[in-house]
Amino acid sequence: MSRPCLAISRTVKTLRPAAGLSSELHASRFLTRPSKRTFTTSRSSNFVTRQQMIEYGSLWKARFERIREAERQKVRSFRTSCRSVTAQSSRAFSSTPARLKVRTVQQARSRYLSGPFSMAAGVLFLIVGAGLTIYFRLEKDRLARKRIAEQTKGIGKAKVGGPFDLIDQDGNRFTSEDLLGKYALVYFGFTHCPDICPDELDKMAVMIDLVKNKCGNVLRPIFITCDPARDTPAVTKEYLHEFHPDIIGLTGEYENIKQTCKAYRVYFSTPPNVTPGQDYLVDHSIYFYLMDPEGDFVEAIGRNFTAEEAAKVIQSHIKDWRGYLDKK
Amino acid sequence: MGWFSSGSPSPPLPPKPADPKPSSDGAYVAPNRTSRALCYEARDAFFECLDRHSILDPITDKSAADKACGKLDEEFEKNCAGSWVQYFKQRRVVEFKKEQTIKKIEAEGGEVYPPGRLPPR
Repeated sequence: MSRPCLAISRTVKTLRPAAGLSSELHASRFLTRPSKRTFTTSRSSNFVTRQQMIEYGSLWKARFERIREAERQKVRSFRTSCRSVTAQSSRAFSSTPARLKVRTVQQARSRYLSGPFSMAAGVLFLIVGAGLTIYFRLEKDRLARKRIAEQTKGIGKAKVGGPFDLIDQDGNRFTSEDLLGKYALVYFGFTHCPDICPDELDKMAVMIDLVKNKCGNVLRPIFITCDPARDTPAVTKEYLHEFHPDIIGLTGEYENIKQTCKAYRVYFSTPPNVTPGQDYLVDHSIYFYLMDPEGDFVEAIGRNFTAEEAAKVIQSHIKDWRGYLDKK
Repeated sequence: MGWFSSGSPSPPLPPKPADPKPSSDGAYVAPNRTSRALCYEARDAFFECLDRHSILDPITDKSAADKACGKLDEEFEKNCAGSWVQYFKQRRVVEFKKEQTIKKIEAEGGEVYPPGRLPPR
């Protein structure tokens, strides 16, 4: 308590007299002039004699002394109020009642030494600080995810994804309507893919299980072939079975696949006319597309994500979802 | 590379895994996990041999590759589909060039980030 007080009183000492003095002097000038004017003689009111100047000088000096003395008095009383802990009524610059209740000299001395800090205040400060830091960090992450989801949610027509009409691995019709209600993780590939697709599908299997454990049955994993000529429902079924039983494999007519790839902005280079058994490769984009339960695109997950990282991204988006979510 | 192998006669070859097999609806099934593993194994053996003989591209340096690792190349082509063999051989060159480029950029003080992820802020 003592140190801040001293500092304040020092600043008061240096600042106040000058400020007070100048304002007083201005005031005195304005006060004396009208009083002169009240004597309406033939003389001009602006004319000042030597005698008057001397009078003014002594007047200013006296005022100056008075103001200085008053300021000194103020500072003195302020200092004593700071020092004497019990003298609460003389706290010059505070209108709030004193919170300090000290009974013994020891208490007062320890108060004097420790200042306004105490163990409880320190602990409280740390807890509140840590709490706020954690809260703001979580909130920042959530807002970043929300921004990604909002950004990618097209205005009007979805920018990525859209209606499609394909066949699943059991030969049943599967359209974009069947995606709704759950999150969908869409991957484009082909069964004769040399190395990237199998790796990515293995990753997908890990992701499916991780998300299922954390969030329940809310994710529909979809594999759409880019190579409809070779990937019939039976071929797709046999191929996907090795990775994860949940993955739905979609194939269809060449035109339908082409249109679906276009909707998902997937680069697609399959030749339209190939003979069965022909050996060729297909170039395609390698992203997982996360679609929300309303069929809107949320985020693309690239190859540089590990299965765990990707699962975390998906889980966070699922947790942010506030709309309807099919958990069956 | 026949002189490196043991004298015992080679065991009867399993049916070539790269051969397409028809599925229930007549289309040809894709290589499964086992045949993929066989293919990768043959590929790695062949590429390791190329590394030993400092051959980068087995397509342009075909004569050198045949001379040094011809046997392994045969194994490779037996275990993988033709398109895969072609793909892996081309990819070997691409990967090497990519590595060199990254090394060059990093030597010049630059940083290379994988696509799709923003650098740390």
